[in-house]
Amino acid sequence: MVGLSLGEKHFIQGGIDQNLRSDGRKRDAYRPISIETGVIPQANGSARIRIGATEVIASVKAELGRPNALQPDKGKVAIFVDCSPVAEPMFEGRGGEELSTELSVALQRCLMGGKSGAGAGIDLSSLIVAEGKICWDLYIDGLVISSDGNLLDALGAAIKAALSNTGIPRVQVAAGASGDEQPEVDISDEEFLQFDTSGVPVIVTLTKVGRHYIVDATSEEESQMSSAVSVSISRKGHICGLSKRGSAGLDPSVISDMISVARHISEQLINKLDSEISAAEADEDEM
Amino acid sequence: MRGIEISLNQTQKIRLQRALKQLESLYLRANFNASVTVADTIPVSNEDTILKGHGTSERDGEVVATLCGVVERVNKLVYVRTLRARYKPEIGDIIVGRVVEVAQKRWKLEINFSQDAVLMLSSMNLPDGIQRRRTALDELNMRSIFEENDVVCGEVRNFQNDGGIQLQARSQKYGKLEKGQLLTIPPYLVKRQKHHFHHLEHYGVDLILGCNGFIWVGELVEARDCIEEDQLNNTEQQFTKSNTTKEMPLETRRSICQIANAIRVLSILGFNVTLEVILETIDLSRTLNLGIDEMLGPEFHVLVAEREAERRTSMTKRKG
Amino acid sequence: MEFVNPEGLRLDGRRPMEMRQLRAQIGAVAKADGSAVFEMGNTKVIAAVYGPREVQNRSQQINDQALVRCEYSMANFSTGDRRRKPKGDRRSTEISLVIRQTMEECILTNLMPRSQIDIYVQVLQADGGTRSACINAATLALADAGIPMRDLVTSCSAGFLNSTPLLDLNYVEDSAGGPDVTVGILPKVDKVTLLQMDAKLPIDTFENVMQLAVEGCKAIANYIREVLLENTKQLEYRRGL
Repeated sequence: MVGLSLGEKHFIQGGIDQNLRSDGRKRDAYRPISIETGVIPQANGSARIRIGATEVIASVKAELGRPNALQPDKGKVAIFVDCSPVAEPMFEGRGGEELSTELSVALQRCLMGGKSGAGAGIDLSSLIVAEGKICWDLYIDGLVISSDGNLLDALGAAIKAALSNTGIPRVQVAAGASGDEQPEVDISDEEFLQFDTSGVPVIVTLTKVGRHYIVDATSEEESQMSSAVSVSISRKGHICGLSKRGSAGLDPSVISDMISVARHISEQLINKLDSEISAAEADEDEM
Repeated sequence: MRGIEISLNQTQKIRLQRALKQLESLYLRANFNASVTVADTIPVSNEDTILKGHGTSERDGEVVATLCGVVERVNKLVYVRTLRARYKPEIGDIIVGRVVEVAQKRWKLEINFSQDAVLMLSSMNLPDGIQRRRTALDELNMRSIFEENDVVCGEVRNFQNDGGIQLQARSQKYGKLEKGQLLTIPPYLVKRQKHHFHHLEHYGVDLILGCNGFIWVGELVEARDCIEEDQLNNTEQQFTKSNTTKEMPLETRRSICQIANAIRVLSILGFNVTLEVILETIDLSRTLNLGIDEMLGPEFHVLVAEREAERRTSMTKRKG
Repeated sequence: MEFVNPEGLRLDGRRPMEMRQLRAQIGAVAKADGSAVFEMGNTKVIAAVYGPREVQNRSQQINDQALVRCEYSMANFSTGDRRRKPKGDRRSTEISLVIRQTMEECILTNLMPRSQIDIYVQVLQADGGTRSACINAATLALADAGIPMRDLVTSCSAGFLNSTPLLDLNYVEDSAGGPDVTVGILPKVDKVTLLQMDAKLPIDTFENVMQLAVEGCKAIANYIREVLLENTKQLEYRRGL
């Protein structure tokens, strides 16, 4: 990332103080968001999202597997993020590994439940085929194509869109399998079940610069941050995950304030995403 | 084909296509289409006396293009003018760059060229304003003039042997730029004109259109003519570095953001960026009472494209 | 398994000498100096070029020419079965090397001394012919970045199954165990810069298959030329005077 001079840094901080950022946005405004679904036809579901100059692709692939012995009534989900060197020469070789791991772990924390499997944003019990024997394994992959700040929000939104676009094939389980045997399965090529994404949360990251927090920071603004809090909130307003980045300490009251601000912003974001996703699906159907 | 990277709904797409078609027809009417791609043969009438310039090479007795662009002929010189490419320096160009390294007796600046440009200590005014030989002490204090990541404005002085360029920043109008933002646009959108510095008194904004595609939009800085005033200011600066912490008035900030957004919109649409067009774009947004951030929305892009098509149509009508 | 049915149609309905549908889009990555997306049927590849710019590692600087570097990576979701390591495995390293050598051949590096050109290729969907799609995408991206080149490089693959030479193999045909000949040419000067083959072929059959691949490359070259020309015209008329 390019460095900034002292004068430019003051300009950015002053803008955030005066509620007029470098591109004219207020502190709580997102950049223009555009979504395209079905960009990877070979996957079960996929989406590409662009927030300003940040662009990410998310894809969902479903494979049959065995459920975890501790949670026989739930399917499994794995999330991986990769930063492509196409976005930044710095991501070449192993340069993007640290950022990729950080993003993968943060997404897992926001979208998946605790160790017992409870409280996941993604409803895992809908992925079960035969209890204890066969379940769907969802592999969610994110790829960063262009990076200009706020990668976590973009990936969260892309995953939500990809899941809305996901069709799980209908599976017929042969009856009469006993004990530990793996039953015969017949995977339909024709019928698909749309994945239920009403419970999937969105991620809102609030970046604290100076005395104020901003939403959807560009990479220049992110370089000035003292700390950032990412909150994952579902449609009902429940908090599904929380992470704090940055070295500066935050007063607990500030954190509660940031969470309520995030909740307020998430309503608008969820509405915006839903309308964009349905527009994208309509476009895809046309094509 | 290069797409315009904003999401448009159906009607907006149609309007934008219509505006672009209008621009296309204006162009085709005016010019003979001379675009070439890599490895295309360039038609030349009399090959013996042709000078082969940039972007051309000879193969089997024919002149062949090595770049994608438009063929330009000036007397006996034939060359290919590229569009989207890195900056191609010419002596006397005004450019804006960012310091990446402070080396012995020189600064190295990134200017969107294939190599970093060099600004020698001797090509820069000293803080005390006296014209004298640079001593070892000056070398040690180079960081008090420019540090890493500083934004500097200068002029191309000459080419070095290894293909790099040297800058000079002797005049008062050159030097460090503070209190503003730096934008990057493709260099081919900045035309070489008489004036690249624009002191917009009305908006309180300094606008510098660097030929290398780096554009500086910042708070108006009064030109310092007096050397003594300079001395005073700089001693203050050395003690407090307080110049930058004075609050910028909101009105100035609004103007800076409007101008910056206008430049962003023009660069996304691929239109030439000149002061005239920038001011017209800002007027357009003001007459429509758009919020500053709405300038980056899809509707405004379409409106700017339509207005540009009208402007160029009326310009051609006036000429023809 | 039958790859060419008695009517002469392949598994996806193509004729033996028919190439998959080509689609190219220039300028997918705004931040890069040049970029392009290239699709050959279901194979989809993004290429981005950064440069020529100052050499990042002073020890690698070459005094009289540009340094060309290339990295090839495949997305996790690009193949049917998910890959664990997007890059760093042997196949990726080999393809990075192949692309670098092919592109270095055609870039006029002596015009940009002491500089560095980075070519990054990212595979979004792999359905056979990824090597060729990467080279074609890289050519488009280099032309978009305004980097002087001797000629366009295009690449295409061909194989031999059921006693028929087949042009532009997809993944199923490629993994059938028959030979796979990948050719890269400089169309204007009519020279071959890349030639790779696996499995075995008798020599005269090989010449037929290679000739077929070269024809495919020329067709791709025409398409790329048109795309670049259209792009240049568009940029020029938008810019105005």
